Amino acid sequence: MSILAVQGLTKRFGSNEVLKGIDLEINEGEVVALIGASGSGKSTLLRCINHLEEPTAGQVVFQNEVVTADRVNEVRRHIGMVFQRFNLFPHLTALGNVTLAPRKVLGLSDAEAEKQGRELLDQVHLGQKCDALPAELSGGQQQRVAIARALALKPAAMLFDEPTSALDPELVGEVLEVMRDLASSGMTMIVATHEMGFARDVASRVIFLEQGRILEDGPPSQVLENPREARTREFLARVLRA
Amino acid sequence: MARRILVPLFLLALAASAGAQGIVDRIRQKKELVIATDATYPPFETKPGGNLQGFDVDVGQELAKELGVKVRWIDQEWAGVLGSLESGKADLVMAGVTITAERKAKGYLFSRPYFLSGQVITRRKGDTHISKPEDIKDKMVSVQAETTGQFAVEKIGVPKNHQLRFDQIQEGLLDLRNKKSDACVGDLPTIQAILRTGYPELEIAGPPFVKENLGIVVWKGNEPLVAQINRALGRMMVDGRYARFYEKWFQEPYTTALVAEFDAQKSAGSPVKEAEDLSKKPVPAVSADNQGGSSFTFRGDLLAKAMPLLLRGAVLTLQITALSLVFGVVGGLLLALLRLSPIKALRPPAVAYVEVVRGTPLLMQIYVIYFVLPAVLPPGISKYLTPFVAGVLALSLNAAAYSSEIFRAGIESLDSGQMEAARSLGMNHSMAMRYVILPQTIRRVLPPLTNEAVALLKDSSLVSVVALAELMRVGKEIATDGGSPTTIYLTVAAIYLAMTLPLTWLVRRLEERWAIGRRRPEGAKA
Repeated sequence: MSILAVQGLTKRFGSNEVLKGIDLEINEGEVVALIGASGSGKSTLLRCINHLEEPTAGQVVFQNEVVTADRVNEVRRHIGMVFQRFNLFPHLTALGNVTLAPRKVLGLSDAEAEKQGRELLDQVHLGQKCDALPAELSGGQQQRVAIARALALKPAAMLFDEPTSALDPELVGEVLEVMRDLASSGMTMIVATHEMGFARDVASRVIFLEQGRILEDGPPSQVLENPREARTREFLARVLRA
Repeated sequence: MARRILVPLFLLALAASAGAQGIVDRIRQKKELVIATDATYPPFETKPGGNLQGFDVDVGQELAKELGVKVRWIDQEWAGVLGSLESGKADLVMAGVTITAERKAKGYLFSRPYFLSGQVITRRKGDTHISKPEDIKDKMVSVQAETTGQFAVEKIGVPKNHQLRFDQIQEGLLDLRNKKSDACVGDLPTIQAILRTGYPELEIAGPPFVKENLGIVVWKGNEPLVAQINRALGRMMVDGRYARFYEKWFQEPYTTALVAEFDAQKSAGSPVKEAEDLSKKPVPAVSADNQGGSSFTFRGDLLAKAMPLLLRGAVLTLQITALSLVFGVVGGLLLALLRLSPIKALRPPAVAYVEVVRGTPLLMQIYVIYFVLPAVLPPGISKYLTPFVAGVLALSLNAAAYSSEIFRAGIESLDSGQMEAARSLGMNHSMAMRYVILPQTIRRVLPPLTNEAVALLKDSSLVSVVALAELMRVGKEIATDGGSPTTIYLTVAAIYLAMTLPLTWLVRRLEERWAIGRRRPEGAKA
């Protein structure tokens, strides 16, 4: 069943057209890996889906309703987002980060929000770090707090914008593990990533973006191991060599 | 005597519609005669122990009595004194103002002369090169700016680049004492009085070379009030009250010759008789050693007397600063939020406000609020615009503009990812501002805001133009009363430092403490 559809989406920054007409339909429970070179439009596509960037043309349909400017806050509650640079709130503890939106946006009581927040931090293996400030956590820990923070609104889908790109290599594993758990729990996920291992092992579908267009779309076995397009093969050769 | 007129043109343009008819009735109705002055001018008006005293003060007191009302004095910087007539803040000015044709042309009415003054040359003791007007033609001459002293010096032919124009005559005398000027020209009675209390290094060279008449000033259209004043002055001059004040403040006898002279010039607003030869009139001897000490020695006795007054001034300075800071910071935050608002229409007004306030001098803003607003606002509102309110308002509006820029810079210095993360969690713009952006901004802006507080504390000295006796003004009043300006000004500086240093120390501590919280998270690249 379709949960999210992108229809004829273009995005222009000045004269630079970053997305050139994207059509995409995502079903509930799908885990989509969005791959492509830097500048291919992966991030912009994710940011357009929850309107952090206003699409130049085209539209996004979420749960069968078109996303418009006046219901964007409502939609964002149901679509969690995880950023490359974590973007934790540095003045709040890990628990404070996870409970802020439930308290202020959903109106949960402090006690409810805290109970739920501790469970979520446990779920990302950070139950011991509830009272730590972001500056006291490693990058991997911070990203796991950020995932817990997004989950706190009980979203129907999660967007990940290169969640491991800003991490030291030895910290990547712990974040991917949390994401793997999340995928196996049935969460709908769209993950812009350079981690081909994750794309192959966890994703149910891989989309290859090239210069603002979807060039290839299919199960990992097809796109990663048997790509139709020469461009996809070149890209994969470059990434896997690195 | 001879005071400068520094009335901004816009005030003249707004020429008081403040109804003239029945001003005498109005004064009687409110049972109070409001007189504006600048208490830095001995022996006419000074504030040596915190209480206004002097020749003008005694005469003004009697004037009010004659009108059957109480007197209320507004003491402020000279620059604002005459303006208070046009804005209706004062009924009349008694500040030893010389009657001149120029001032009459600007709309001021004068009473009959109530004091006959003259311009004299002051020199360093024994400097016999300087004894008559021709001697100072090619010398450096200090004067009080825009006074008849300056005009007399120009008449002699002293070129502009040889004139040193000061705000106060005392500064001219200090300059002469410092050997930076060769002579100082000013009003005989004032210089006499100042030399009596300090400046043992100086003396008056010869008799007055220009004679001047002083008058009480009223704004145009108030002729009935002038008539009342003239009648009252006439009575005082014949019944002995005037003679008593004269001898008390000028320490010379009130002679029949003087009475005759007053009689000859009793018509209202008799102007200066310029260059009249007064050399026949003997100059009273001036001895400067009765108070002892050079004006440059540190005088503990003077300080002991002055300290309570200075501290009272400092308290007012702190009150004004604290209030303005609170209003300014709140206003600044609102302005910054407007400027960064997602609603684009709200931005230009905030930008315009900041540009206007930052692009005009604070002194000008104080003038506009105190002198111009009352002419524009309905009287019911403008009566609340007391000097204190006007001063705090001007400083608050000013501080708001500057602190809004501090807030804006603070907000914009945050990683844009913070706003995005907040919005991606479903928060609207104002929630994101309140719970995510502003709590982080506060830390960043506290040090620059504290600097703003220090600047504000120092700028608060400017509100003395609207008759607020804050620290700088009190210091000036005490310093100009004679004795040792050095002692007073050094003490005033020390008090300002005692207020600003704790603030700057606090900023440093905060900066050190918060530097720790800002280190880069471990494991994050770039």
